[in-house]
Amino acid sequence: MTINWQLLMPELIIILTFILVAIFDLFDSLQKTFTAWITIVGSAIALYVSIDMLQIGTEGTEFSNMIQVDKYSLFFNVIFLVSTILVALISMNYLGRQDRRQGEYYLLILLATLGMMLMASGNELIVVFLGLELMSLSLYVLAGYFQRSMVSSEAGMKYLLLGAFASGFFLYGIALVYGGAGTTNIPQIAATLTGDAKSPLLLTGMFLLIVGFGFKVALVPFHQWAPDVYEGAPTSIAAFISAGPKAAGFAAFLRIFLDALQHLQSEWIIVVTILAALTMTVGNLVAIAQRNIKRMLAYSSIAHAGYVLVGLAAANKDGISSAMFYLLVYCIMNIGAFGAVILARTEDGESLRISDYAGLGFKKPLLALFMTLMLLSLAGFPPTAGFVGKFYIFRSAVESGQIWLVIIGAINTAISAFYYLRVVVAMYMREPEAELDFLAYPRTLIVAMTLAAIGVVLIGILPSYFLSPAQISTFL
Amino acid sequence: MLLSAVIFLPLLGAILIALARHILGESGLKWIALIVTLLTFVVSISLYTGFDASTHDMQFKEERPWIEGLGISYHLGIDGISLWLVLLTTFMTPICVLAAWNSIEKGASGFMISLLMLETAMLGVFCALDLFLFFVFWEAMLIPMYLLIGIWGGHRRIYATIKFVLYTMAGSALMLVGILYLYFQNDNSFNLMTLYGRTLSHQNLLFMAFFIAFAIKVPLFPFHTWLPDAHVEAPTVGSVILAGVLLKMGTYGIVRFCMPLFPEGVAAYTPLIVTLSVIGIIYGALVAMVQPDLKKLVAYSSVSHLGFVVLGLFALNQQGVQGGILQMINHGLSTGGLFLLVGMIYERRHTRMIADFGGLSKQMPIFAVFFMIVTLSSIGLPGLNGFVGEFMILLGGFMSDSFSKVYTIIATTGVILAAVYMLWMFQRVMFGKLDNPKNQALNDLSPREIAVLVPIVIFIVWIGVYPKPFLSRMEQSVSQVLQQSKPTATVKADTPTLALDITTKEAKKIDE
Repeated sequence: MTINWQLLMPELIIILTFILVAIFDLFDSLQKTFTAWITIVGSAIALYVSIDMLQIGTEGTEFSNMIQVDKYSLFFNVIFLVSTILVALISMNYLGRQDRRQGEYYLLILLATLGMMLMASGNELIVVFLGLELMSLSLYVLAGYFQRSMVSSEAGMKYLLLGAFASGFFLYGIALVYGGAGTTNIPQIAATLTGDAKSPLLLTGMFLLIVGFGFKVALVPFHQWAPDVYEGAPTSIAAFISAGPKAAGFAAFLRIFLDALQHLQSEWIIVVTILAALTMTVGNLVAIAQRNIKRMLAYSSIAHAGYVLVGLAAANKDGISSAMFYLLVYCIMNIGAFGAVILARTEDGESLRISDYAGLGFKKPLLALFMTLMLLSLAGFPPTAGFVGKFYIFRSAVESGQIWLVIIGAINTAISAFYYLRVVVAMYMREPEAELDFLAYPRTLIVAMTLAAIGVVLIGILPSYFLSPAQISTFL
Repeated sequence: MLLSAVIFLPLLGAILIALARHILGESGLKWIALIVTLLTFVVSISLYTGFDASTHDMQFKEERPWIEGLGISYHLGIDGISLWLVLLTTFMTPICVLAAWNSIEKGASGFMISLLMLETAMLGVFCALDLFLFFVFWEAMLIPMYLLIGIWGGHRRIYATIKFVLYTMAGSALMLVGILYLYFQNDNSFNLMTLYGRTLSHQNLLFMAFFIAFAIKVPLFPFHTWLPDAHVEAPTVGSVILAGVLLKMGTYGIVRFCMPLFPEGVAAYTPLIVTLSVIGIIYGALVAMVQPDLKKLVAYSSVSHLGFVVLGLFALNQQGVQGGILQMINHGLSTGGLFLLVGMIYERRHTRMIADFGGLSKQMPIFAVFFMIVTLSSIGLPGLNGFVGEFMILLGGFMSDSFSKVYTIIATTGVILAAVYMLWMFQRVMFGKLDNPKNQALNDLSPREIAVLVPIVIFIVWIGVYPKPFLSRMEQSVSQVLQQSKPTATVKADTPTLALDITTKEAKKIDE
């Protein structure tokens, strides 16, 4: 049997990068940021290859139908790799201040990225699970990366415990679905499930899968871990967890539910609709009460998972492509927002209270501008990318008749404006309480922020270049 | 290209200021802002001269695909209704730049950038013929206004600005759903022109989804509570833009979307809306009467005046709607002017309390003259612009088939109340003894301030004396809107001609 390695080029490049990082990490004489640069270059090449394959339209299955490379998975590869590059850029200086080698940090990021790519291209529940675990295990370690910091260790521990629990649910769900359908291959499950008979085994498995995904992408009521982990984890890792892994979770979520379990749509759609409404509403309402910016962003990212879930609840072709498009936009703007948090650093660490941002608008105009732009995009103001993303999601939901969900979503957008704008209020409209000495801007961080800012504005004004690929890349 | 030029010239100016603010220096960037806004006004005059009054079609149209995957196009055009609002915007903005010349203490570059971006967004709202594009501009307007109030406003500016944003966003959330719903009834397109003439389903719900967004913006009673806060806390220029142009986005939206698209909704809700607008007229006037703060007084008078506008629009006849649209312009001029005048004494005295003033006419005769003219225009003195608008609205109200004359009769008392609160205010501020020593040292208007006010006064008199150029250009468009807003979509256009005669006669009468 010959394996079509070309199909797996992006994955192979990431593995190669992984090996290079592992080797070069051994040389103490190299600069501490060298491994970061390898990561960035490797991911950039993988990104280029993915985009190229996406444009050509490479498709195919490999490893006995276990891996399905199609436009859908390639589009998600783009999301993951963009996130990885941005995160590596914002990490570089951030970690540089901790006096230690960084090799394992980037190794874990690369492993997690590989796991995400597997999740998006898994054509088999087991492969999806493998990808999920590869990603999650790396993230547990990354969340606790600052060993000397208590909150970081706590975050890692909490994430591990709850994540393992969720993986258990997920695996149990897979087992029951296997019991009900007799196979774990996604297209085959879809093919076996016909007729009216819906076995309780299958339904239970389906609900367990929802619970598992609910934990992984932080849907209400499975979201409790998120704020604690985001708060405790290194900010760059909070940015990472909130972006790529969430997109990966949705990649598998969408594929399993709209392909394998399509037949059970009438059963799961009500659950997903309720979860979406709950997630948006609770995420946004609780975010209002936050005083710590990382926790606020954590709740905001929960709310955003709710918006993406609206795309799944739409359960149509546009629903998928709008979720894909939104995840791309969301990753860029959310990493951008966390990047702005990293920018606002003093000698004592980051300024995490929103009140610390008072007066930054005039003291640190560039930082304030970046932050404002990202928050406006998260809030969904035109002409930013966040607006187009939400608009498209709502559009697809109206198309499938989910008017009420869209009304809830639209009202939530108005609610969310309140807490996003509060940071803007602090930066531009309040006088600072204490004089904080902010550190100079690290150059790589500025590069990352500039890329994110350009992305947010460009996608907002000319969305077609990103939207059309999403529209032709669905699996339906 | 003309419309795009008008819309995006201010944005270019904003970018220029953002990039070159360090080189330009404070006065340099003010000059740039002034030149750009004046240039925009000059360019927009060619919209007036090139406008063909004999058709209701959209003119100066531009249509280019934008986001093809979603059926969104970059589609602009103006008719006889939006023409005036575009001109009002381009006219008021340079005045605002000039008015803000010395009053911005910190961050002048940010102020001018916000103002210019705001102008782009407002012009976009009035020119967009694609629902998505309209919504983009509608929401994009929020951020610069939010910054203008929030950074350069008064003590409670943060409360006021957040209230303003949240009210607007809450309204537009429902409108967004409405827009999406229309999209699927319009063969997956956001094109407004193809939407006209379709018989849509769920018209009552859609009407409300749009109307609430617009009613908040107008603001119609009982959605008005954000307005006094925003006005009082906003810097002078913010209030001028808010009263002069922003509120008109609401009434414009009603004419452009609610009335022609959802005739069934119009028929169903006219009684409710007319009741609310009459309540607004009386309530606004009564509350204005007891305000000790000049700015609050003017703010509540806005609630009253815009009640008239909405009343005129829902009279659903040529006089009422034309009067309503003319009154939008009038209100922009006179209330904008009042806010400018209040701002001028506030800059001198740092108080807006009526009780702190008295006898100013002796100390500031030029100021008193301007104040008098603008006040009288706001009251609706014959010969000035306010009269024409209010007269046509009330005439339309009496002739209207859509609601009973009682409403109009009650509304008419609003005119009397306006005279009461405005003249009483004028008396307390301008006449009486000049006994406050602080007032005795006040300087009269500077040449810059006179330059700010003169253009407004010119238009106040022009519209009052010779409104025909204004009315004649909106006739066709208004009759088109009226025709579309009849519940049975198949009615032929025979009534408007009669109505036209009356309006032109009216215009002649005022001429003499």
